[in-house]
Amino acid sequence: MMKNIIKQALTDLFPSPGTVAEELGVETAEDEVAENGKKKKAKKKEDPPRVNGVLERDHAQYGYDIDVQLEPGELLAAVMIIDKAGFFIESITGVDWIKEKQLEVIYDFSRYDFDPCRVVVRTRTPRENPGIPTISKIFAGANWHERETHDFFGIKFEGHPHLVPLLLPEDADFHPLLKDFKP
Amino acid sequence: MSGPISIQPGETFTLNVGPQHPATHGVLRVKMEMDGEYIVQAETVLGYIHRMHELMGENRTYPQVLPNLSRLDYLGAMGYTHGHVLAVERAASIEVPERAEYIRVLMVELNRISSHLFWFGAFVMDLGGFTPLMYAIQDREHILDLMEAVTGSRLTYCYFRFGGLYNDVDDDFIGAVRAVIPRLRKSLKKYAALVTGNIIFRKRLEDIGPISAEMCRKYGATGPVARGSGIDFDVRKNEPYSMYPEFDFDVPVYHECDSLARYKVRMDEMEQSLRIIEQGLDKLPDGPIMPKKKPKLIKPPKGDYYQAVETARGSFGIRIVSDGSKNAYRFKLRSPTYSNMHLFDEACQGMMIMDALAMMGSLDLVIPEIDR
Amino acid sequence: MGTQNVPSPLEEIPSSIVQFAAADKLINLGRVNSFWPLTFGIACCAIEMMATGCARFDMSRFGAEVFRPSPRQSDLMIVAGTVTKKMMPGIKVLYDQMPEPKWVMALGNCAISGGPFAFEGQYSIVLGADTFLPVDIYIPGCPPRPEALLQGILDLENKVSGWNRWKDPEKA
Repeated sequence: MMKNIIKQALTDLFPSPGTVAEELGVETAEDEVAENGKKKKAKKKEDPPRVNGVLERDHAQYGYDIDVQLEPGELLAAVMIIDKAGFFIESITGVDWIKEKQLEVIYDFSRYDFDPCRVVVRTRTPRENPGIPTISKIFAGANWHERETHDFFGIKFEGHPHLVPLLLPEDADFHPLLKDFKP
Repeated sequence: MSGPISIQPGETFTLNVGPQHPATHGVLRVKMEMDGEYIVQAETVLGYIHRMHELMGENRTYPQVLPNLSRLDYLGAMGYTHGHVLAVERAASIEVPERAEYIRVLMVELNRISSHLFWFGAFVMDLGGFTPLMYAIQDREHILDLMEAVTGSRLTYCYFRFGGLYNDVDDDFIGAVRAVIPRLRKSLKKYAALVTGNIIFRKRLEDIGPISAEMCRKYGATGPVARGSGIDFDVRKNEPYSMYPEFDFDVPVYHECDSLARYKVRMDEMEQSLRIIEQGLDKLPDGPIMPKKKPKLIKPPKGDYYQAVETARGSFGIRIVSDGSKNAYRFKLRSPTYSNMHLFDEACQGMMIMDALAMMGSLDLVIPEIDR
Repeated sequence: MGTQNVPSPLEEIPSSIVQFAAADKLINLGRVNSFWPLTFGIACCAIEMMATGCARFDMSRFGAEVFRPSPRQSDLMIVAGTVTKKMMPGIKVLYDQMPEPKWVMALGNCAISGGPFAFEGQYSIVLGADTFLPVDIYIPGCPPRPEALLQGILDLENKVSGWNRWKDPEKA
């Protein structure tokens, strides 16, 4: 099954294959009732940051099969493995984690044949000077996706042939999806 | 198709297939460097209808975003809202009753036919034939009457709710749908005789706009664009969701990779959708349309969730990154036309402009979906 | 109607044969019975505009089905859809290129006031076509029904020429 093949190929990328991350428990804030009857918000238990590695996810619950988190430097190697295996690029997007001062870029890949396997590749970069290598030499469709992510988050994709605004006006210098954006 | 022989720098001129153009199906701008009638290079300029649906997804609660999704692709709005409600139901683990899911599939397929009919009329009008537009829109009106009787709107539906529907269908509706199906079949035969066999039409489209399967893979093209290039990919069959495993239908695939193949894929898809609708009417179970237990406030647990559905234009994906609050933290919409349109810049090099416009019509563009 | 008293030596002329009126009235009748809209569909409302031009709702019975792609040949601009800041200079250029007399119709909620896209944090749309164009008639709806568009054309006819096709049933 492609899922196992690609999981093995991606796990081999990481230096010590024994440290595959465990599934992190999900915590949500609960209101505690204090002694005098008034509701008091409990301190939110912060999740420890996720370590780099390959996770297998339940498709029915999450919608994708393999979830990889890696450093920007390992991105090109992972994407080349995925390209050789015959995946197509679905989309690239960003998420602004303002509390951790990081910007996350999420890559979605999927397959055309009847061996469904959806791979999600994540990578994080600091918010101050975000820079990620471009994958548009491997997947030509990444060109517009990266331009759009640059528009909305300000992430510089190093090596991109034409990183100008795609959806915003040509002279735009703001990035709307950052959490501290004011129009 | 012979291309330009030799280009000296300074010999080309820039032609703006501008935001206001009858053939651009919305506000799309393509800057073309031309050598006479041949295109040397094309660059698509987007953003003329950029309304930022993704920011609305973050500033509003989950139910408040529901009407928005219809405005993305207004011709196939049911498919988009279907993807949205499925994504949120997956994130928040809401059960959907069977009857509601069957009716959802019925509505999505009816909407797919009306979207393809409109595309058919507009496409032939682009090539110069005005009559099929009138026939296609007239047929589409029959379907819109059905939808209006149930949902209240003609174009931008907001019919699905998280967990089911808000209005049930009655026997009048079922009888009316059964009456429309033979009428649509007759129309499809009429279009095959009037348009598909027409020699001028075939000469306009055969071997025009070739898109190879490898190019589709590099750009992520899905839907009829990929199926016209020999790729057998339909989210309803490859990654089944909702009630589609219960239905028996084929996925038309053609291998010629040209505009005529993409046209034929869509015409065959209309017939297959009619088959699904017939089976759905026969199999429709009784029961409630909303679940008994539904959370009052939708707050999915932390994490990110993805749902892909097959709309009239391809695979629409929606990613919801949730941090446990009642607004989404990130609301990403993956629109199929965005990836399909990206092909155009590379594929139209060396073509004549009339062929490029024929190819653009065969890609079935809806611009607000690209600009979101 | 009625007879006109013209000074002698002319006798009274019966009005069934000769009518005296300003030439503008006749020319206005010609104008309102043949609006030529500019094909400028931006978003969802454009689909309802096209459906109005087609066989079921038939704008051609009011003379307005001739959609011209070129602004030089049209006299009614139907702004159908959301106007973004990027598109606004283009629309202004198109409006300036139309020859006088010209009218503007704002079709749908987005063209009237930004519609469902005017939310807190919106940075990219213009809140209504009347911020930069002189709009003559507003048609609300999201999208408005084709019958609403036809009523808008009839109201515009009344506004331009003062003439009604039929008696208003409410005022009868």
